[in-house]
Amino acid sequence: MRTQSLPAPPAHNSPVRPGPSLRSGSVTPPAQYSSGWFGRQRRQRLLRADLLTVIAWGSVAAAVALWLADGGVAGVSSVAAAFTAAGIVAGLAGMDLVLLMLLLAARIPYIDRTIGHDRALEFHRKLGKPSLYLLLAHGFLLAVGYGMAEGLDPVSESVSLWQQVPDMWLAFVSMALFIAVVVTSLVAVRRRFPYEFWYVVHLLTYAAVGTSLPHQFSVGGLFAEGTWQRWYWLAICIATGAALVYFRVLQPILATSRHQLTVSRVEVEAPGVINIFMAGRQLDRLAETGGRFFIWRFLAPGLWWHPHPFSLSAEPAVTGPDGEGTLRVTVGNLGAGSAQLVRLRKGTKVAIEGPYGLLSTAARTRKKVVMIGAGIGITPLRALLETTPFAPGDASVLLRGHTEQELYLSSEILDLCRSRGVRLFHLPGPRSRIRSSWLPQEAVRGGYGLTAFVPDVAESDVYVCGPAGWADSVISDVRQAGVPEEQIHHERFDW
Amino acid sequence: MPRTSDPLRLPETGTKLSARTFECMGTVVSVTFADSPAAGQETQDELAAATAVVERLFRELDETFSLYRPASEASRLARGELTLRSASPEMRARYAEAHEWRLLTAGAFSPERPDGVLDLSGLIKGHAIREAGRSLLALGRRDWCLNAGGDILVSGSPVPGSGAAWKAGIVDPADRHSLISGYALGGVGGHAALATSGSAERGEHIWRVDGGSDFAQVTVAAADVVTADILATAIVSGGMAMLNLATEQWDVAVLAVHADGSLLATPAFRRQI
Amino acid sequence: MKARGTLAAAVASAGILLAGWQAGTQAGGASTLASGSNTTTAGSTGSSGTGTSGAGSSGSGSSGSSGSSGSSGSSGSSGGSSSSGSSGSSGSASSGTATAGTYQGAAVQTRFGAVQVQITVASGKITDVTALHLTDDDRKSIQISNRAAPLLRTEVLAAQSADVQTISGATVTSNAYLTSLQAAIDAANL
Repeated sequence: MRTQSLPAPPAHNSPVRPGPSLRSGSVTPPAQYSSGWFGRQRRQRLLRADLLTVIAWGSVAAAVALWLADGGVAGVSSVAAAFTAAGIVAGLAGMDLVLLMLLLAARIPYIDRTIGHDRALEFHRKLGKPSLYLLLAHGFLLAVGYGMAEGLDPVSESVSLWQQVPDMWLAFVSMALFIAVVVTSLVAVRRRFPYEFWYVVHLLTYAAVGTSLPHQFSVGGLFAEGTWQRWYWLAICIATGAALVYFRVLQPILATSRHQLTVSRVEVEAPGVINIFMAGRQLDRLAETGGRFFIWRFLAPGLWWHPHPFSLSAEPAVTGPDGEGTLRVTVGNLGAGSAQLVRLRKGTKVAIEGPYGLLSTAARTRKKVVMIGAGIGITPLRALLETTPFAPGDASVLLRGHTEQELYLSSEILDLCRSRGVRLFHLPGPRSRIRSSWLPQEAVRGGYGLTAFVPDVAESDVYVCGPAGWADSVISDVRQAGVPEEQIHHERFDW
Repeated sequence: MPRTSDPLRLPETGTKLSARTFECMGTVVSVTFADSPAAGQETQDELAAATAVVERLFRELDETFSLYRPASEASRLARGELTLRSASPEMRARYAEAHEWRLLTAGAFSPERPDGVLDLSGLIKGHAIREAGRSLLALGRRDWCLNAGGDILVSGSPVPGSGAAWKAGIVDPADRHSLISGYALGGVGGHAALATSGSAERGEHIWRVDGGSDFAQVTVAAADVVTADILATAIVSGGMAMLNLATEQWDVAVLAVHADGSLLATPAFRRQI
Repeated sequence: MKARGTLAAAVASAGILLAGWQAGTQAGGASTLASGSNTTTAGSTGSSGTGTSGAGSSGSGSSGSSGSSGSSGSSGSSGGSSSSGSSGSSGSASSGTATAGTYQGAAVQTRFGAVQVQITVASGKITDVTALHLTDDDRKSIQISNRAAPLLRTEVLAAQSADVQTISGATVTSNAYLTSLQAAIDAANL
């Protein structure tokens, strides 16, 4: 174990410019980044999170209220009507959850800045099963309820609905698609299917939602023409669709055409790890994204359809008046899709989306900051370290890897730490089998834990970036050290 | 406005209606007799006996034709345990009648369910009322009103000897506790039967927008109750085309309620409002 | 802090549901009352309290239609909604003043468009109800057959106040019979 502690040096003494872009001089927090500023940012973020919670639950309540406002309860006068009513309510709530899922996956900046990309997707996943169950209940309860009212069994009733009621066959198709999407998603999670498979299955969701829409407006008595309920439902459907189109289609196209990125150079950083340099315009607009990630598509045959989520591993180096310059991503864990990136040709055009995620200054709540990274997870921390504001002595960086070579970009990070006054710990070696499995065996045996490296961790923002299992172990130690939840910033990096 | 009016009393004093009900075919059948107030216990017994005849007739038909009774002939037919060839003469007669109606209505009325099972219930209720009416007349009763789940057949007058019509109320499909209209049945030159069919039976949550059949409810008055019942059903499923066909081919009065609540009525219907 | 969000969400949701409930019971009030009284029809009348003839009935018709989320659409152009507009004035007319004259109801927004009605009162009774503004939703009436012609609900108003001895409607199940108008009529004649 090699440990380097670097006390704050006098500012402006770093002639070294590691990476393509490091600005000279250190980034000491300007006056506005006082502890009060961080506290305010924290309060605002929590307020936004509460607001999102209220909107989400409120929208479900509103869906049920639509039915209540239509005198729904008064209509429940028989067993059949009770089934029908329950079916209608289930359908309303289910569709509302589906819309929430779509919004959570729409990469809306407001949501991203508040709860982060991976937590948004976590909620998205959590809603998958409840919404499917509600939609299944919707179909089943209505078949039973209508069937009882007509004296048919649920199956005959379904056949009759399919044949006789307009748009209902589409609703059946939609139901089948929803089941297919959720089931394959669950299987895909367990079996660890490739990202591409996942992506294609999810495109089916749009077909499922699309085919479910007609019957809601043509058959649902609640949404008959001229009702305010119809306007409300139309409004939330259209708003969701618009958010998806704008943030997932339009924004990426705009960003891609704005920056006109092309690959300028690919170099090997370490075995299995490469740096990709790209040239483009208006790169100043991508500055200070810290550890946030972008979705990259390299527009070359066989590669263009594969989206890669990478962070910038350094601040963009801007050289021209129109933001012309270069930026860099560092890619490791070369999987099937990313292995081909080594052979990227100079001049290959690159599509970009983002930045997404909350691994950035926007998540800061405290004056002090701790960054803990492992493997390729080190690279986003490298970019964050470059720009996030702190005073000399207020930051600590812990880097993990099996070997010294796996501490990627370590020399650049060392230089950054020197110039900004950061405590830096290199923690190479095989992982510990007992306790704190995120630390090297050697450190644990020697009796070193998290607080031995960072005694003031409880008053710091802690950024964790690395493989999932490792990160879980870090986070559990961080919690034990008394760090409140809102100071822990983590984003999965292995998907 | 039935709620505000008091339906119990006829304007003409001196006549009393007496109603009896029983449950059959998934609905409630009401038999209402109009009699002079002088009627004694003797008459009461006669009325009870007449009602019993009607009830037995309904029950026998239900036992043969109900698809809800696993042991009924209709159920065995539906399960394929019985062929039409070996079915009872009563079953074959009703089947033939239903098929004739299918031809007459160009398929708008069908004795088959969407799932293909033979279902004569669309005909049997009307048939039962028709037979019950014949029995009442045979028993010498002249002034009565039979109502089975909204299908009505009347004879005579609620005020015996006066020639006054029986007044039927037609339910608003949007609120079955209020009436859209009234219709004078029987009396001089009026139809004796009235039947209403609706698309709202499934529950009150289906809202149709397709152009074809958008009738929420259709009421047909005709000389006999089977015609009224079947044409009402046929117009609901066959839409405007069937309505035109019905008014051309039969002597009927029709009131149709569109899905949007607007009304269509034939001139014959307007006259009897 | 998480608790704050959860609490706020719970309060907001409860508020929204309560508002929906309120709106629902107001709109569907008439139908609730009606289905609540299964013994006599008169009971619900008292509570709806509109009094005179047609106006009252169609008034409740309109609310009932939205209340029960009316399948079949219900009360078209003029129908229920129109009279709900007029029910106010008709009430005053019946409550004794009995001033003859013509009254215009307020324009009422229904699920089928705006509707305004005019009622004519003579000797304490409504003699005429006319729809002033019908909804433009007459798409379906264009294809009118020469046999069956459109009939305004107001035209059948007179018929509604008459006593009826029997009721016709789409097949009533045994369960629904208990709360039906036919049941009330039968009960009275038992």
